[in-house]
Amino acid sequence: MSALACTGEPVSWLRLERFAAGAKDAAIAEHVAACAACRACLDEITGDLVALPPLAVPASTPARRWIGWLAPALAVAAAAAIAIVVLRPEPETREDIAYVKGVGEVVLGVVRERGGVVRDDALTFAPGDRWKIVITCPPGASTRVEVGVTDEHSGRVDHPLAPATLTCGNRMVLPGAFTLTGDYPSRVCVRVSSVDDAASACLTITPE
Amino acid sequence: MDAASNDPQAAYRAYGPALVRKAERILRSREDASDVVHALFVDLIPTWTSAVDLPYLYRAITNRCLNVVRDRGTRARLLARDGAAAAPVGRVTLEDEVVGIGLLAALADRLDDAHMQVLIGRFVDDMTQEELAEHLGVSRKTIGKRLDRIREAVIELRGGGEVAS
Repeated sequence: MSALACTGEPVSWLRLERFAAGAKDAAIAEHVAACAACRACLDEITGDLVALPPLAVPASTPARRWIGWLAPALAVAAAAAIAIVVLRPEPETREDIAYVKGVGEVVLGVVRERGGVVRDDALTFAPGDRWKIVITCPPGASTRVEVGVTDEHSGRVDHPLAPATLTCGNRMVLPGAFTLTGDYPSRVCVRVSSVDDAASACLTITPE
Repeated sequence: MDAASNDPQAAYRAYGPALVRKAERILRSREDASDVVHALFVDLIPTWTSAVDLPYLYRAITNRCLNVVRDRGTRARLLARDGAAAAPVGRVTLEDEVVGIGLLAALADRLDDAHMQVLIGRFVDDMTQEELAEHLGVSRKTIGKRLDRIREAVIELRGGGEVAS
């Protein structure tokens, strides 16, 4: 491990994080302009893209008033259960999920970084956005992943990321990031393959 | 970033990346860092208040990471992986050493939480003593005393030849 020498008193990571997030601080700006060590740390922050796992926030739970509603609620639930069984629709096919023999269910996700803000629930793009691919598949398996991005207007297909072999797990991030341009939706697909099977999962990302 | 404090989801998106980077500097593993940050938010959601800001979360992540380092099984895995990780950017050194997972693990066995918070704040988060005093809500003199004790612990470790490089 080696140390980078700061020209004065190093700016703490906490202050650098706030500065990178847009906090105005002339002292930090001045220091970073003159100090290669602290500038390297700031660059590390601004150049980093963190793909966070989704955070589920549970709905707030009501207080004890539920007791009076219990009987009618049970009746409604029973009726709903019957309706679901009788009127059950065909299972919905999700394009972002593929099933590959030897791997299992593979779920495609994307992560968007815009101005330092990372979102995993965004499917719209603007110039300058950076995108990463995240894959969820059963732990223990590994799979080869190829990414293709199709401009839905021209039909042109790009392959912005190098093919990669991925060790499966929860929201595994493919190496590399890419940008989307143009005025038309882009279809982001991953072709996932095992030794004896392959399938594709896709998402459509639309311009803002 | 203050508006994010009212909503756990918004705070997670706004502060999460900074917290993952901080946890990664301690644990030397992005995957473990991401898990620690996610688990912290999951635990905080039921009691979420607008008082939760980035400094608070910074302190909380330090505690969570120290728990990981103290866990023998996880520690062994992190130490085994540490050699493969890129060397950290080190601007503040402890007795001429950039504090890594090996030294943290060794000191975690000898120092209490209060001293480990100072160790992380000074030598991993690169805070000044004044900033650290404000961050932890103690006096500058207390920070100085704890830093003296930390240095003593490092010297004791080196005397015993236990410091991992």
